[in-house]
Amino acid sequence: MLGLDLDIDAGEKVLLVGPSGAGKSTLMHALAGVLQDDEDNASAGELLIDGRPAAAAHGRTGLMQQDPETQIVQARVGDDVAFGAENLSVDPELIWPRVIESLHAVGLSLPLDHPTSSLSGGQKQRLALAGILAMRPGLVLLDEPTANLDPEGVLEVRDAVIDAVGASGATMIIVEHRLAAWADAVDRVIVLEPGGGIAYQGTPARLFAPGPIRDRLIDAGVWVPGHTPVLPARLKPAAPAAGLLRGRGLAVSRTAQGPAAVSGLDLRIDAGQALCITGANGAGKSTLALTLAGLLPERAGSVAALPGLSGDQGAAGASDPGDADRPYRWRAGELVARIGTVFQEPEHQFVTATVREELAFGPRRARRPGSKTRLYTDEEITGRVDELLDRLGLRHLAEANPFTLSGGEKRRLSVATVLAARPRLLILDEPTFGQDANTWRELALLLREQLQDGVAVVAVTHDAGFAAALGASTVEVVADRRPCREPGRTTPQGPDPTTARASGGMPGLEPDAGARASFFGRCNPLAKLAAVVLATVPLIASLDLVTSSIVVLASLLLLRLGGIAPGRFLLRAWPLLVAALFAAWGTALVGNDAGAVLLDLGVATISEGSLVSGVATGLRIFAVAVPAVIVLSSTDPTDLANALAQQARLPHRFVLGALAGMRLIGLLAEEWVTLGMARRARGVGAQGGFVQRLRANAGQSLGLMVQAIRRASRLAVTMEAKGFGGTHRTWARTATFSWRDGALVAGGLSLGAVATAAALLTGAWNLVWG
Amino acid sequence: MSSTLSAAPTARYTWRVVDIVVASVIAVASGVIFWAWNTTHHAFDFIFVAFPPSSALLAGMWLFPAVLGALIIRKPGAALFCEMVAAVVSSLLGSEYGWTVWASGIIQGLGAEIVFAVLLYRRWSLPVALFAGLLTGIFGGVNDAFVFSWFPDYTESMKLAYVVFMAISGLVIAGLGSWALTRALSRTGALSSMASRKAAQERVLG
Repeated sequence: MLGLDLDIDAGEKVLLVGPSGAGKSTLMHALAGVLQDDEDNASAGELLIDGRPAAAAHGRTGLMQQDPETQIVQARVGDDVAFGAENLSVDPELIWPRVIESLHAVGLSLPLDHPTSSLSGGQKQRLALAGILAMRPGLVLLDEPTANLDPEGVLEVRDAVIDAVGASGATMIIVEHRLAAWADAVDRVIVLEPGGGIAYQGTPARLFAPGPIRDRLIDAGVWVPGHTPVLPARLKPAAPAAGLLRGRGLAVSRTAQGPAAVSGLDLRIDAGQALCITGANGAGKSTLALTLAGLLPERAGSVAALPGLSGDQGAAGASDPGDADRPYRWRAGELVARIGTVFQEPEHQFVTATVREELAFGPRRARRPGSKTRLYTDEEITGRVDELLDRLGLRHLAEANPFTLSGGEKRRLSVATVLAARPRLLILDEPTFGQDANTWRELALLLREQLQDGVAVVAVTHDAGFAAALGASTVEVVADRRPCREPGRTTPQGPDPTTARASGGMPGLEPDAGARASFFGRCNPLAKLAAVVLATVPLIASLDLVTSSIVVLASLLLLRLGGIAPGRFLLRAWPLLVAALFAAWGTALVGNDAGAVLLDLGVATISEGSLVSGVATGLRIFAVAVPAVIVLSSTDPTDLANALAQQARLPHRFVLGALAGMRLIGLLAEEWVTLGMARRARGVGAQGGFVQRLRANAGQSLGLMVQAIRRASRLAVTMEAKGFGGTHRTWARTATFSWRDGALVAGGLSLGAVATAAALLTGAWNLVWG
Repeated sequence: MSSTLSAAPTARYTWRVVDIVVASVIAVASGVIFWAWNTTHHAFDFIFVAFPPSSALLAGMWLFPAVLGALIIRKPGAALFCEMVAAVVSSLLGSEYGWTVWASGIIQGLGAEIVFAVLLYRRWSLPVALFAGLLTGIFGGVNDAFVFSWFPDYTESMKLAYVVFMAISGLVIAGLGSWALTRALSRTGALSSMASRKAAQERVLG
């Protein structure tokens, strides 16, 4: 971005518009004072806020970006609102009143200890806004604050912004693609030139009135209020079409045990048919789509391919005749040739290093049903790739890395990659999300072409205009139990929208309510660590059954103090048992033989003596792990971080940075599961031997790291914009020690001492370093 | 109060906010990979049943955050910090080794850190990554076999075999794997705000 001259007055509300690549986000980062200084970024001229350089004006500006997940820093609502004020060293006495006032201003009436992870996207953005208001900024910067939200969330956040920022009297600059929601709320619209500088500016009424400026904005893909992209009239699809897929009595859910999101659904998809799945957020639209796509198993009922999709030889190869028509049972190579699934986030599906390879990947993986023979020859694939490169205008990017494309290009590529293998059924999750009007139009045209060719299109979408453009019929997934059938609509039912998203069975980092309220839950984390170390040090020193047994027994008796139900404990402890058993086996094989030989394997034997030392080895490992599991599962990472920074005096930048990163773990675990499905939809199979699994895991790990680092970079901007990174800050919540902590440490010490004494007295004590 | 970093010569050694957060998230994502790996690798434990010390051949999986973090962040302490945060995450999820995983994290992280420190945090090529992976494997192996002595009844030669297997694993998985992953990441543009953004164009042998 070059040559921009701009003056914005105090209290003014400005909407910034421009084509992608015009540098809007760069300008916002510069205004927020978070533009990274390094050899690749150059700046010229000056940027003054209240007459001071922007970088020195931390705290005078607040910045909100589009991804709700990275606008939140802390795990609890109150802490998150307080975070910015703490960084600005506001007196802790003053912080809590500000927190409550700010939450009220954005209309969030939630308890201060409410977990931020359970909020909807719209609520997260309102929370982020509250955190900004609590810093009392003079300038509020909103960088596409509603781009990742559904239509309801957009209105919710817009109203909160207008009310709260309006009441605070702060200046506001907002960048948005979809202008209709904001046009009435701003004083001035500034349209940026692609290379830099201002193309037009003026009141919304003047710029958006019919005329050459409006037309130029439309040409640039801007969603001007009142405009929908024009499409040519649609041709009628060819008459009676073959059936492709049938769902009977279908219930879907993210996990095998989770609540069903949809139940009792019957539907049939025919060639050339367009079907849109609509419904509120969290109702289970994507889950339904993923089940139809053969990526999630049916919770109940069946999804069966009809002859139009499975082909004649469908039943030939599968192990169970019933499985041959069940998409979930198809190998990835069979799936990719029949059903093409496009995920909401294009990056989840990129599996190669260039656009050209990306397009060739699907057809190369495609297999004839029930066999391992390839569906397409190399010549056919090359031809298909060239055709798609031209059709989608990606020819000039053929050698580029897919991850480096623009948002619109990534979306087009992700659709093209599944089209490459010529599936008969396309399933798309929110394909128009966050796209400009030009990409929107291209997508609609491309999918119409597919429909014309007899391909069926199923799309999860909030976008009624898009459904109309495809001439789609609608299935509405509703979140409540009220049946609300309308003529011509199928209305399956789902559970309440607060259903937790699947993270593939990964335990969370945060304790549940029971553990939090327990004795251990209310202890200081440092005291807990000290107690665990004191109790288990004798185990590190000695290999004997007496010490280990005493520690294990005592720990199990103390389960209740940690508020842990036995079932939940087993869930956490089973990997420990596996590890202990493996260690026991290893030692039993090689330990000193004594007594009767129990098992002779030729190279090694297990005798009574070696079995005893094996059991002792396993029990020791188990005994070291168990107290830590009990105590840590009642430990909240936030409390741990507060104690480490305030009491153990570790550098707070690193402790709080690590804490903010840990908040993403649930999200990343969810992303890992999604990546697995997204890659299967591209033809990457994870079944098979060690090498194949390893390779699939390695590719998936790269995908996860890309998403992790992208989110981390955005989170860092959020934290820096909230004043984080300085040498001094205040703490709204102080970590303290109480009588409980003293008792706990004394308890840990006596457990260790008792175990040691018992072992010494019985003569079992056996130093491992001897 | 909060001062932005100037491009002074010390910038090479100072951590920016983005360095801290990216390092943390790399460690957390590694925690997720550990967890996914945990459900995969126990299925292959039988391979090592015949000679249990060979199970250390997979231990490099627990060492890669140290080398990966250092190669991406390129700041003093990155290897140590990433391995420690990964250890804390895995202990909060329920580690097989209880609190000792914190201590192991520090020791393993130090192994890689020493290599980068000796080269004054200026060299990030393949041989350096391999050497860092090797040393973190040796540190981890010695720690398991001799310090915490998880297998007291192993003979000395079996303990040594365990260390050698872990060193090989560190070299291949933590060293080679992290180096390859860093280059692949740099090609995606995800490292654009990191000192390693051009890793893919750097000379392999430095």
